[in-house]
Amino acid sequence: MSSFGFHLAFWLLAAMTVGGASMIIVSRNLIHAVIYLVISMLGVAGLYLTLSADFIAVVQVLIYVGAISVLMLFAIMLTPRAERNNTETSLKLPAAAVMVLILTATVFVALDTDWGAVRQAALADQARLIGQSLIREYVLPFEIGAVLLTAALVGAIALARHDDEDAAIHAQSLQAEADGTAEDVALLTDPPLVEVEADAGAGEDGGS
Amino acid sequence: MSGFDLAVVLGAWYDFRDLNNLSRLITEWIADWGPDWLSSIVTGLLGSLGILAVIGPTLLVLIWVERKVIARFQQRYGPNRVGPKGLLQPVADAIKLILKEQLAPRAADKLIFFLPPVLIFVPGLLIWGVLPFGPRMSVADLNVGVLFLLAVSGTGVLVLFMAGWSSNNKYALFGAMRAVAMSISYEVPMVLALLTLVVFSGTMSVNGIVEWQQQEDVIFILLFPLSAIAFFFAASAELNRTPADISEAESEIVAGYHTEYSGMRFGLFYAVELGNTLVISAFIATFFLGGWWLWGLDQWVPSWIILLAKTGAVYFLLIWTRGTLPRLRIDQLMSFCWKALVPATLIFVAVAAVERTLLVTQGWDTTIALPIMAVINIALTLGAVMLFARLARSERLRRPARTTLVRDRVGGLAAAREVASQAGGGD
Amino acid sequence: MIIGLEEYLALGALLFSLGFYIALSKKNAVGVLMGVELMLNAVNLTLIAFSRFSTSDITLSTQVFVIFIIAVAAAEVAVGLALILVVYRNRQTINVDRTTLLKG
Repeated sequence: MSSFGFHLAFWLLAAMTVGGASMIIVSRNLIHAVIYLVISMLGVAGLYLTLSADFIAVVQVLIYVGAISVLMLFAIMLTPRAERNNTETSLKLPAAAVMVLILTATVFVALDTDWGAVRQAALADQARLIGQSLIREYVLPFEIGAVLLTAALVGAIALARHDDEDAAIHAQSLQAEADGTAEDVALLTDPPLVEVEADAGAGEDGGS
Repeated sequence: MSGFDLAVVLGAWYDFRDLNNLSRLITEWIADWGPDWLSSIVTGLLGSLGILAVIGPTLLVLIWVERKVIARFQQRYGPNRVGPKGLLQPVADAIKLILKEQLAPRAADKLIFFLPPVLIFVPGLLIWGVLPFGPRMSVADLNVGVLFLLAVSGTGVLVLFMAGWSSNNKYALFGAMRAVAMSISYEVPMVLALLTLVVFSGTMSVNGIVEWQQQEDVIFILLFPLSAIAFFFAASAELNRTPADISEAESEIVAGYHTEYSGMRFGLFYAVELGNTLVISAFIATFFLGGWWLWGLDQWVPSWIILLAKTGAVYFLLIWTRGTLPRLRIDQLMSFCWKALVPATLIFVAVAAVERTLLVTQGWDTTIALPIMAVINIALTLGAVMLFARLARSERLRRPARTTLVRDRVGGLAAAREVASQAGGGD
Repeated sequence: MIIGLEEYLALGALLFSLGFYIALSKKNAVGVLMGVELMLNAVNLTLIAFSRFSTSDITLSTQVFVIFIIAVAAAEVAVGLALILVVYRNRQTINVDRTTLLKG
């Protein structure tokens, strides 16, 4: 690996990662924040490549960019009457203080310790090795992980699903649309926004 | 590998059977005087420029081919005015699109609105990088190539979402949400279909899969026909092509996520759609039809011409389905994915695992075992298809599923009344 | 200057603290989840950096560990977002300041 290209790649990717993460803090729109999160995740995937972990990098793109961010967008779209803004709570200042503490402590430890580290040779044919160790040494964690994912899947479906209740409500709103008053139909087709109590600056923007 | 060795013996830049010769010549020349990072950058640039140079003109021709072929399917002439046989029609269209005004809705999210026509190119171009045009003839022969293909093509969804959401148009948003829902659903059978190949051939490199087929003298569509069918359907759904183009169904939601894009921005979306179709047909040809290899013919004909011929055949099949099949409803598409394709491909992953284990542990002769397995798998596929046909006839499955609206989810009329009364009372 | 372990560790620390700040300070529940994801990513990055630069041969086990973290993160996001949907359905908001049912 040539050192010039490596330096360029590292600093660009680091800027991308940290910049994306900082823009999540700054951006006032939740959808923008998700897109900045994607940029940050792509940067981390690139950093994995600079550490020659190809398989992890591709998995990172597949799961974070392809799945988790899409899931977040879905959650935002399915909560249409909630606020779309991305402002801070009153815990902003204490959080910032703790963040600075953590940052100084960890960076100090990282830079001050003599790790005695040397760059190891990269693994060849990582995907095969990882797959083999997943079903040999790590077969128990692997199975537990599978059970965890299944449980999470079932749990998420059970939480998000409310069929019987919805069916009654659906029938009711269909009925209201069919023979209700104009007022009711207007309520259904153009629902009123949730009133935000004395919370200035929480205007609805973005999206429909 | 004899085709490759022959090319090495005769290796010269003008030997067009192996396009590597030219690029190797250039990089070796640079390595003589330049720093080592320059040659690797130049190799990457050469590969991408080569791909761009091929795709650009090909897209223009493909627009003409697609319109002409669909016209033939529908008993029309198709474009036949501009140029000989209408060949210059795409150029005329492009000039018209470039000259058109580029509108942007006033309420659009400006930055995100301008990005998608550019960003949409990225995944489509990146996956060309792992496509082998011949033995060792790909821009990057990753050992996780299959995973790379899936990961990169999965990111295209985000761009579609950005396009639909930022337009601030309800039809655009509908189209975007449909595209997202469909794409993450059909990614599952796509992954499972490719997993059968990966399990059976024991490699995740795209070139490795082709070499496995060459070594065993068999193409994967014979061994795993159901995976091929599932991959074909899933790919045509991911590509938003007509049997599954609900995310831009003009009779329902105007033009879907690109409703608000005018002029060349629309043209870019259109071009990318065709380009993605081309690259996915190339991958279908690579995975299931043997790619650049064709029972020894690759020694006499340049391997990339074989790949292009197979790609053309798959592409024609995609045009055929587009020209003849009507558009499906969204609930039909979703239930077809989750109730038919996913279980079937999942079963075939298990079948592939069992057969692979038998092959490895029993030490059977592959020349005898593979044809038997092929026959068994073809029989299983026919059985699965007939079972599906019988089930699809049932009245219950054909009825559209009740859609759950967001307004029901948030409590329907009662909740709306309550909120309205609260709002009224508060003022 | 050579890019060594320290640079990656510092980057991971920075990313972790940014995620920490986001998770603690954002009003929106989806925003909080984003912060948690950033923290997990920072940890993964640190692990991979250690695996590449360590003196002992831990590369493979670290990568497997990272895969497990990614899998658990995916499960966590799915359940977290389902919880957010339920909260939204009952309270019409996903603002973490306003989900105060447990407050006496």
